[in-house]
Amino acid sequence: MVTTSTAERRAAPQAAATVRPEPPRPSGLVYLGLAGLALLAFIVFWVIQESGDVLLIPLGFVTLWAPLNPVIGLVVMLVALAVCFKARIGTMAAFGTVAFIIMSYWAGATVGFTLLEIPERWSNVEPRLIAFLDPNWSYIWTVRDQWLITISMAVVATLIGCAIGLVLAMYASPVSSPNKGTSQAIKAVNSVIRSIPDVGWALLFVAFIGGTAHGLGPMAGILALLMFNIGIVAKLTSETIDSVNPGPVEAADASGANLTQRNRLAILPQVLPGFVSYGLYVFELNIRASAALGIVGVGGIGSAMMLQLNRFQFENVAAILIALIVVVLLVDMFSMYIRRKLL
Amino acid sequence: MITFENIDVVYPNGFKGLSNVNLQINKGEFVAIVGLSGAGKSTLIRTVNGLVPFTSGTLTVGDVVVDPRSKAKLRRLRSRVGMIFQSFNLVTRVSVLNNVLVGRSADTPTWRSLLGWYRAEDKELAFQSLERVGIVDKAYMRAASLSGGQQQRVAIARVLAQDPEVILADEPVASLDPPTAHKVMRDLRRIQQELGITTIVNMHHLDLARSYADRVIGMRAGEVVFDGPVEEATDEVIEQVYQRSLTAEDIVTAEAAQE
Repeated sequence: MVTTSTAERRAAPQAAATVRPEPPRPSGLVYLGLAGLALLAFIVFWVIQESGDVLLIPLGFVTLWAPLNPVIGLVVMLVALAVCFKARIGTMAAFGTVAFIIMSYWAGATVGFTLLEIPERWSNVEPRLIAFLDPNWSYIWTVRDQWLITISMAVVATLIGCAIGLVLAMYASPVSSPNKGTSQAIKAVNSVIRSIPDVGWALLFVAFIGGTAHGLGPMAGILALLMFNIGIVAKLTSETIDSVNPGPVEAADASGANLTQRNRLAILPQVLPGFVSYGLYVFELNIRASAALGIVGVGGIGSAMMLQLNRFQFENVAAILIALIVVVLLVDMFSMYIRRKLL
Repeated sequence: MITFENIDVVYPNGFKGLSNVNLQINKGEFVAIVGLSGAGKSTLIRTVNGLVPFTSGTLTVGDVVVDPRSKAKLRRLRSRVGMIFQSFNLVTRVSVLNNVLVGRSADTPTWRSLLGWYRAEDKELAFQSLERVGIVDKAYMRAASLSGGQQQRVAIARVLAQDPEVILADEPVASLDPPTAHKVMRDLRRIQQELGITTIVNMHHLDLARSYADRVIGMRAGEVVFDGPVEEATDEVIEQVYQRSLTAEDIVTAEAAQE
């Protein structure tokens, strides 16, 4: 008989089967070294630790003591190493695991990060949490003007920012820029624009031209969001241009098109879906950012929220936050719809 | 007429693409360039329109002396020299008509290109070019929705829209199946004969070169090692060019040619 059923093959004796290869056993010596590294890290943690929590280990005749947090760190590292060894994970990945634990312990210890504070300060947290969980629904509608300002700011900043960002991207990518020097220079300028966060730009513009106090809040907000949008759109679009299909570009060159025509005819159609998608993403970011920008004196929903926060009206803040979530979700659904139609 | 006088091409990495090429290609001639990959066929074709700048020698296209350093002069030259590529090089997301109109770029003001607002006579020229390759009914379809052979015809129409004196074709049928390859070659040959356009085609299929070209140029290691009418390009001569015996891969199947 030529064919055999699966059941027959399963039942067949395994002796004939070839030996299945096993994953190679990682070097035990390296693992021992990693354990040594964990121990070294433990000693360093002990030296730099600030909390005086102590773990007491009664052994009957003598009571050992050890610093609590470093011991927890050491145990976590050793357990992770043991699991890695058992699962025959390569030494490099095991080193990464240990390094990850050491880094997060060190970073957390430096800023004294602990969730233990929350139960300790519960008396402070509780009333505010209750206020947040009981939003003042009627308040949502009273700040509609602020919402309108926020959305208008986002629309204007997105449209202008995307237009400028596209032009900058064309000059920033070596594929579409006139020469290497231009591309490098524009990229450098763009890095500077991006290195300042949106709140930073808002502070700058409020300082330069005045904030809500002078009735110029939305103006400063638009300029801040504009710079923020230019940075993101130019960066993402220029990277998309870097990876366009060079064929049509060469064809446009070969037909005698100049640089602008070639970029418009051969590159723009290729990057358009990505570009529109970045624009929608940036619009969503702008709506969200306006909540934070209100804090530094820019108009919009953020300033309304800041006002209520300063008055300890947590029910109203909660109402604004919930409306923010709804608006961001709506914008997200809208942009997903557009993207689906487009791609 | 295209004249190569002692043309050398040295790439920036030091690789010698062409060495001491001397050629004279007459107006209205259909020339096939054969050779193994890396022999310098693409380099030769791309020096004509300056996509690959030559490093020494003199190159004349028509009555224009090619200057690879002047971008403006190169653009003017390229407007009269159309080029067809192995991978068609269409913008697949836009319509066939817009792809053909790319060929009008050199004669279109930049602002019109930016807005995509072409003159009526440019559009008419584009439609005529599409008619000539027989796919005018596909004008408003996306280029991506066309088959490989149709896409290459759009590319030919794009070149025709330039109203060129010279057509350069870099392996135009290498990514097409044999029947389609023959159809596209027949189109090219017909257009060359109807309009008297000088046509230079790179190939690696010997039988295509023999059935459609007037003249065959053989290349090896950046040098022209054979140049003669198609009748003289016998198997022995081509084996000399390739430095190996011919195999079945060197030809497109015969029955496909009948189709």
